[in-house]
Amino acid sequence: MANREARLAAIRTAFPEGGGVVELPGGDLQTFRVDRRVLPDLARHLKDDPALDFKLLLDVCGVDYPAREERFEVVYHLTSLTHGHRVRLKVAVREGDAVVPSVYGVWKAADWFEREAFDMFGVRFEGHPNLKRILCHPAFQGHALRKDYDPGQRWLLREGEQDEPAWAKEAQENEDHFETQVLNIGPSHPATHGTLRTVVRLDGELITKAETEIGYLHRCFEKMSETHTWNQVIPYTDRLNYCSAMMNGVGYALAVESMLGVEAPPRAQVIRLILSELSRIMDHIVDVGANLNDVGAMTPFLYMYQAREELYSVLEACCGSRLTMSYVRIGGLSADTPPDFEDSVRYLLRRIPKLVDDMETLITENRIFRGRTEGVGAISAEDAVDWGWTGPCLRATGVAYDVRKAYPYLAYDTYDFKVPIAHAGDTYARYLVRVEELRQSLRIVEQALERLEPGPVIVDNHNVALPPKEEVYTEMESLIWHFKLIMEGMKVPAGEKYGYTEAANGELGYYIVSDGGGKPYRIKVRPPCFAIFQAFPHILEGHMVADTVAIMSSLNIIAGELDR
Amino acid sequence: MSNSGGKLSLPAARSGGQAAAARQPDGSQVFLTTKLEKLLDAARKNSLWPFPFGTACCAIEFMSFMMSHYDISRFGAEVVRFSPRQSDLLIVAGTVTDKMAPVMVRIYEQMAEPKYVISMGVCACTGGFYRAYHVVQGIDEFVPVDVYVPGCPPTPEALLQGVVKLQEMISKGETHYQRTLAERRAARAQAGA
Amino acid sequence: MITRDVVVCDAKPLRLVQRLYLVEIVKGLAVTLRHFLGNLFARKYTVTVEWPEVKREYSERLRGRHILLTREDGSPRCVACYMCEEACPAECIHIEAEDVSTSPTIEFEKRPKVFTIDLLRCVYCGFCVDACPKEAIVMSRVLEMAFASREEAVVGLDQLLQKGPTETLNLGYRPYYGAPRSRIELPIPVKASARTGAEG
Repeated sequence: MANREARLAAIRTAFPEGGGVVELPGGDLQTFRVDRRVLPDLARHLKDDPALDFKLLLDVCGVDYPAREERFEVVYHLTSLTHGHRVRLKVAVREGDAVVPSVYGVWKAADWFEREAFDMFGVRFEGHPNLKRILCHPAFQGHALRKDYDPGQRWLLREGEQDEPAWAKEAQENEDHFETQVLNIGPSHPATHGTLRTVVRLDGELITKAETEIGYLHRCFEKMSETHTWNQVIPYTDRLNYCSAMMNGVGYALAVESMLGVEAPPRAQVIRLILSELSRIMDHIVDVGANLNDVGAMTPFLYMYQAREELYSVLEACCGSRLTMSYVRIGGLSADTPPDFEDSVRYLLRRIPKLVDDMETLITENRIFRGRTEGVGAISAEDAVDWGWTGPCLRATGVAYDVRKAYPYLAYDTYDFKVPIAHAGDTYARYLVRVEELRQSLRIVEQALERLEPGPVIVDNHNVALPPKEEVYTEMESLIWHFKLIMEGMKVPAGEKYGYTEAANGELGYYIVSDGGGKPYRIKVRPPCFAIFQAFPHILEGHMVADTVAIMSSLNIIAGELDR
Repeated sequence: MSNSGGKLSLPAARSGGQAAAARQPDGSQVFLTTKLEKLLDAARKNSLWPFPFGTACCAIEFMSFMMSHYDISRFGAEVVRFSPRQSDLLIVAGTVTDKMAPVMVRIYEQMAEPKYVISMGVCACTGGFYRAYHVVQGIDEFVPVDVYVPGCPPTPEALLQGVVKLQEMISKGETHYQRTLAERRAARAQAGA
Repeated sequence: MITRDVVVCDAKPLRLVQRLYLVEIVKGLAVTLRHFLGNLFARKYTVTVEWPEVKREYSERLRGRHILLTREDGSPRCVACYMCEEACPAECIHIEAEDVSTSPTIEFEKRPKVFTIDLLRCVYCGFCVDACPKEAIVMSRVLEMAFASREEAVVGLDQLLQKGPTETLNLGYRPYYGAPRSRIELPIPVKASARTGAEG
C-alpha cells in the first residue's frame, strides 16, 4: 500500500474522477484537493476503508493566500498506523464564504485544531460542537494569522471579560443538591505547570463535567516566524517545548534542509542525535519528577534534578546556554563540541542511571504511589488514536508508534533500541513508559558516541550557512556571502513540506510553506501536547478532583508548545 | 503590618518613646516608627515568601533555583507559597500574555502588603523578542516592578542576584512599596501641618 | 507504522514483601539516608554551589552581556555596518553611524556614534556575534546584572566598550575557528575516578 497509485485507486472507488477529489502532482506528500461538499464523506471513507485506514488525524491548519480567489486553504495531515502511509488534504474556501464542514465526527482529534484554525483565520467549521476562540482571548478582534493582520496589534482584556464555559453559568440541575458546584482549577495553580485552566463541575468530589481553557501562553510563534528570516526562527523554536529545546530546533532544521535539498554533515547529525536524546532524558526527568512532586513525593525530584543540572553543563559547554540553546543551524550546528565532550557524556551515562535507580527504589513499587496512579486517567488505545495522541502517552496504551522507528531520521534505524510500551493506558503506565524510554535513550547515546568521527559540523554551502569567520575577515567573496545571508536571509525554494520528528511528547510536525523568499510564508507547528491535552477534559469525567493533578502532570503538558 | 505607619501604638511608643516623640517638632512619632520599620524590614528581607508566577521557560530555571544546586533557602526564601495571601514576593517567571494579564493583576492585588515584585526574564521585563499581538510588552504595564532580571531565561545565579538586590533595596527602603508608603506619610504629615 | 521492536513494561503485581510496607519503607529510608550521610560527610562533593562565595564555572561559550572590542588605539572595532542590528531577532540593537572618512588618519569610513543594546530585550542568542564581520561584538560571561529600572538596562557605548586588556575580560561566546575553546565543567567537584570511569 505504499504507492500513490494504489491509494488513488482506493479513493477513486468511492470518489470517481470529477467527484470533487483531485490529486495534485508532486509534493513531499500525496496531496488531494477536496471540494468541501464531499469532505465529510471522504473523511469517513479514508478512515474506514481498510486499504486506506487513516485512523490518525495529525493536524488541521489554515493558510492564507490573499492573492488567490479562494483565499483560505484548510490543510489536513493524515497517517495510517497500520500501513504507514501519509496524505495531505486541502480544502480551499473564499473569504466571504469561509465555511468548511467539521470532521470532528470522524476524528475527535479535529476538535481543538479546527478551533485554532477558526481563531487564527476566521474559517468556520460547520457542525463543530464548541467553535470559539482557543488561543487568543475573547476580547481579541480580527484573526491574527491573516496576512493583513498587523503583528503588533494588541487588544486589552479586562478581568470581567474572561471566558467561561456556557454550562458553568447555568443554574444547577437540582438546587437542593448542595454538593454540586463549579470549580476553577488554574490558570495559576501549582499543579498546572504554567498556564492551563480547567473548569470542572463537581458532585461531591467527583467531576461530572470539565472544560479546558488554553492560550494563556500564546506567544504568537507562527506570526513571529513569518516576520523573521529562516535562521532567526531557530531561537523561537527553542522556546516551544522548553524542557527539551534541542529537539524542536532539530525538527525544524531537518524540515527546512529537506526543502533546500541539503544534508548536514555526518558529525553534525550524530551530535544532533546525542543532544536530542539527552534532551529527551531531560524532558522525562522534569515530567516524571513533576508528576511525583504533584502527588506528594518531593525527594525523587531532587535526585533527578541533579542529573538535569549536570546535563545542563554539557549542553551549555556545547552551545552557550543552559536551556534555550539555539545550537542548531540550518545545514548543521553553530559550533563543534568541546574537546572533552565524549568523556563528559560518558560520565553522564554512568551517573544518570544511578539517580534513576534511586528514584525507582523509592517509587516504582511503592504501594502508595501505585494506589494513587493505577487506573487513574486511563484511556483505551482506540480513543487515544482517535484523539490524535502520539508519543509516550500513546505508547502507554499499547500502540507502539514511534517516529524514530516508523520513519527513521538521523539514521535512527541503525541504532539498537526498543520502544517501550504498556497496555493499561493509565497514569502509572505513562510513568513506567517514560522511565524505560529514559533508559533506552541512554543506550542510543552510548552507541552514538562510538560513531562520533571528526569532521565538519556545517555544510560548505554559502547559500545556506555562514562562511567560516576567518574567511569572512580576510576574503572579499566570503564577506559578500556573509553579508547577503545576514541581510536577505537564505532563499528556500517555493513549496511546502510537512517535516516530523519524535519529540519528547510525541510527533512534532512542522508544516512549512515557502514562497521562495527570505522569510517563511507560513510555519504551522503540530505540537504533540495539543492533541493530547484536548482529550484531558474527557478523561477527567468521573474522576476525583485530586486526580486532575496526577493526570495532568503525567500527560506532560508544556504550555510553550501547547499555546505556541 | 498595615500601612498606617504614623499611627503605630506599641507599648514602647507610649512609655519609653515619649522622649523620642518629643524630639519631633510636630509631636509625631516618626522617629520611633522608622526604627521599628527598619527592624521589620530586616526581618522581611531575610524571610521572603515567594509566589512563583511561572508561565514559561523561566519557570524551569526557577525550578533550578529552588533545587539542590542553587538552593534559595540559603537566602531565606525557600517557602514557596502558591497562595498570594501567604506570600510577599511575586516572581513573574516567563511571558505574560494579554490573556494572562488580568490573572496576574488579580494575584498581585490579593497579596498582603508589604509586597515586592521581581520580573524574571526578558519576556516579563519587556516582552523580549515577542513583539507580538498577544504578548504584554513588560509587566510594568500592569504591576509595579522592583527588580528586573535580564536573561532568556536568566541563569539561577542571575535570579539569586536579583533576590539579593531586592534584599538590599528593602534594607535601603527603595522598593516600590516602601517609596509609596513614604510618599503617603509625607503627604499625611503635610496635611497635618 | 507500528513497530514490533518493543519492550513491554506493564505494571507487575505487587509481591507480598511490597504489600507489607515495612520492608519497602526501610529500603526507601536507606536511599535517603545514603544521600543524607553523603552530604553530611563528603561536603566537597555536595551538589550545592555556595553562590556568591563560590561561582559555578561556565564554559567559554556562555552567552552573557555584550562587549564591544576595541582596536589598539582604543577606538571601537565596530564599523557601523548594521549587520548585528539586522541579525538580531529581538531588534534590541540600535546603531547610528558617523562618517569619519574625512579624517586622514583613520582607515575606516564609518564608526558608531550611538550603539545601544537593550539588555532587557536581548534574548542572548548570540546571532549578533555570528553576524559581525569585524569581531567587534562578543559576549562575556556576565549574567548577574539585575536592574531596578528599564531605563538603566539600555546600555550605550560607554558601558559596552571593553575596559582593560582582553585577557581580563571574562569572555564568553565569541567567534572561534580552529580548536573548540571551551571545557565542560560540572557544577560540583567530582571524584576523578567517577569522571574517568575507573571504577566502572
